[in-house]
Amino acid sequence: MSGCEVRVTGARYAYGAEEALRGIDLDLAAGEQVALIGPNGAGKTTLTRLLVALRRPSAGRVTVGDWEVAGKRPDEMARRVGYAFQHADHQLFARSIERDVAFGPRCLGRAAAPVGEVLDELGLRPVAGLHPYDVPAPVRKLVALASVLVMEPRVLVLDEPTAGLDRAQRERVVAALRRRAAEGVTVLTVSHDLGFVAEVADRVVVMREGRIAADRPARELLYDREALAALGLRPPATAEVGIALGLRGSPVRTSEVVQAMSGIRWKQMPE
Amino acid sequence: MTRLVTLEGATFTYPGADRPAIAGVSLELAAGDVLVVTGNAGAGASTLLLVATGFAPRVVGGTLTGTRRIDARRCGVVFARPWTQLTGLCPTVRDEIAFGPASQGLPAETVLGAAERAMALLRIAHLARREPTQLSGGELQRVVVAAVLAVEPEVLALDDPAAELDPEAADALYDVLPAIAAAGTAIIVATPDLERAARVATRALALAAGRVVAVGAPADVLSGTEVAAMARAAGCPPPYPLDVPALLRRVGQ
Amino acid sequence: MIGYVPGRSPLHRAHPYTTLALAGALLLGAFALTQPLEVWLLVMAAAAFAAAGGVLRASARTALLLSLPIWVLLFVLHGLMGAEPRMVVGPVTLSVPGISRALVLGGRVTAIVLGFLTALATASPHRLVEAMTAGGVPFSRTFLLASTLTVLPRMRERATQILEAQQCRGLRLGGSPLARLRALGPLALPLVLGALAEVDEQVLALDARGAAGGARRTALDPPRDSAPQRALRWTVLALVVVAYAWKFWSMHR
Repeated sequence: MSGCEVRVTGARYAYGAEEALRGIDLDLAAGEQVALIGPNGAGKTTLTRLLVALRRPSAGRVTVGDWEVAGKRPDEMARRVGYAFQHADHQLFARSIERDVAFGPRCLGRAAAPVGEVLDELGLRPVAGLHPYDVPAPVRKLVALASVLVMEPRVLVLDEPTAGLDRAQRERVVAALRRRAAEGVTVLTVSHDLGFVAEVADRVVVMREGRIAADRPARELLYDREALAALGLRPPATAEVGIALGLRGSPVRTSEVVQAMSGIRWKQMPE
Repeated sequence: MTRLVTLEGATFTYPGADRPAIAGVSLELAAGDVLVVTGNAGAGASTLLLVATGFAPRVVGGTLTGTRRIDARRCGVVFARPWTQLTGLCPTVRDEIAFGPASQGLPAETVLGAAERAMALLRIAHLARREPTQLSGGELQRVVVAAVLAVEPEVLALDDPAAELDPEAADALYDVLPAIAAAGTAIIVATPDLERAARVATRALALAAGRVVAVGAPADVLSGTEVAAMARAAGCPPPYPLDVPALLRRVGQ
Repeated sequence: MIGYVPGRSPLHRAHPYTTLALAGALLLGAFALTQPLEVWLLVMAAAAFAAAGGVLRASARTALLLSLPIWVLLFVLHGLMGAEPRMVVGPVTLSVPGISRALVLGGRVTAIVLGFLTALATASPHRLVEAMTAGGVPFSRTFLLASTLTVLPRMRERATQILEAQQCRGLRLGGSPLARLRALGPLALPLVLGALAEVDEQVLALDARGAAGGARRTALDPPRDSAPQRALRWTVLALVVVAYAWKFWSMHR
């Protein structure tokens, strides 16, 4: 299953008198892994809502593959675009986690859906039979993500997918997204977690005040301390290590940094 | 230092659960401590906070065995989601923060004084007249912490307080914890955010499946920071450096 | 429009007990009056009440929307199927006493709903809590009432978010009646379950701030009462008593 390209051209959107999007042009190639960062109120969430027809732009055009989003409803867009909301509790209702995850495919009329595989992928098999509200909030977040992945979308849009997750859970999400990337799914992630962005994104788009302020390769932006500071952010741990040790090639993924550190001689700590 | 909370072999089971959420946990909390509790989801960190502050089983039900001694006059707790911790009744931030002291029936001047001190500590005096519903997540969480501090708890528990906050707001929240501890409050924080925890912790405790697997100095317990993980994977011998400056000190020629 | 709407109208500035007394009088008075003319004078009084709150247009529109199904039912039940004598109006014959009955019952509903909406729109939950606190009412009771008042706007916001989330999972809105019925579960259940989960946290959070302490709360900013307002409240109460006495007397003449 390969991804779709996503094109946003001249998109504008206002909440009443307040302009949230002031002319956005953004192209995501099929299979590209992109992160969207920026301060609160920059318009990131509004932009993602345009991709699933939850908001209609007052000007401009949005296409997902050969679909004009303008002519579609959100439930129709669900056939191509999987949207994982920031707050999982807005969608969980079934008697068991397994049934809840299977809800989306059922709505879309899909007889066979990889419910079991997705549950295993996110470590949810041990709790599959439990009621969603009998597990802690971070686990519910994974359930919500599972319910989107199981719909096998060609475009994935994720809003703060790692907020509140522990290290092990974050790693599962990274692995799941890497798997989708290998399958060619287009992924757009909105996240403040630059460590996560470093692991999953090749390209970072910065939004400020309803406009795109920067669009750079992840390797470049995550090493740019000044640009990040202007957004109230710090480089992720991997880039901090890379900067401190002067590692060549600006490695941003943990595995790349560890590889680049392989020649280091370490001092023992005094007893 | 004054010991405020002592747990010995504490085991707690939620109502209707077939397994205890924490088992055989012992810890001590003294004034000025910033104790960080870590563990994966379901390890029992949140439960430990509720037990240590007396909210379990009193408010949530369940059964507690083992010994627990709470010598604190009052304990406060802050959760991850700011908006569920508001009264929903107060039109201004100042009223929201004053809610706690007002509930104690203190005179109005005392109530307002306590609110002002709490706002000063959290550096949110400029938000006093704002409506809580208009604030960002980061501002709101600082209001919640101030609202809890306004009743002057001797023990303050925070359950993943920055989970919903952006990095700047998360930094601002953690940065204020040492000042609160220095004023004499004992702080216990449950969080998966080892990087920020490492900056403020005086002691640390790690849980797995409800049991304590490590307790002691942050450098020893919080070895799961990203920097520590990278150093370990790159062949650095223990103890693993928790942050970049520590890493640089370990790099030989 | 259902819920508090900030404003500076006379009703907004009045003591909350005054607003509630007037709404209560409309409610009780509606059942004491039995003639169409009387009931519709009461409806005009309710409209005047809404105008005093600066919410006449919005609350009239909502009241009409809410009472429309009842009007239709009354018209069918009493107007079309009522007793003799009947009159011909265009293509239909209507029962004269039936129409009179429909006007009385419909008028009652309209007056009550209008009064209720106006009270909701102009009595701020916060001021009501402060008034009750100043009057010595225990917090548990004031909070119960005030939360009920603030729950609707919160629920509305959540409902929208749930709707969006489920649509993005492929849930189609509209369609056959069976399809709509099937869509109720995924829409209504998260609303209820999510609200219950939030209540759990809120109870803990408020307990931590001393809400259940039992001490008499300090009212920081109690709404100002005045002799004319007190007189007004007693007067409307007296009017209601008179209305019932009149009804009782005319029934047993």
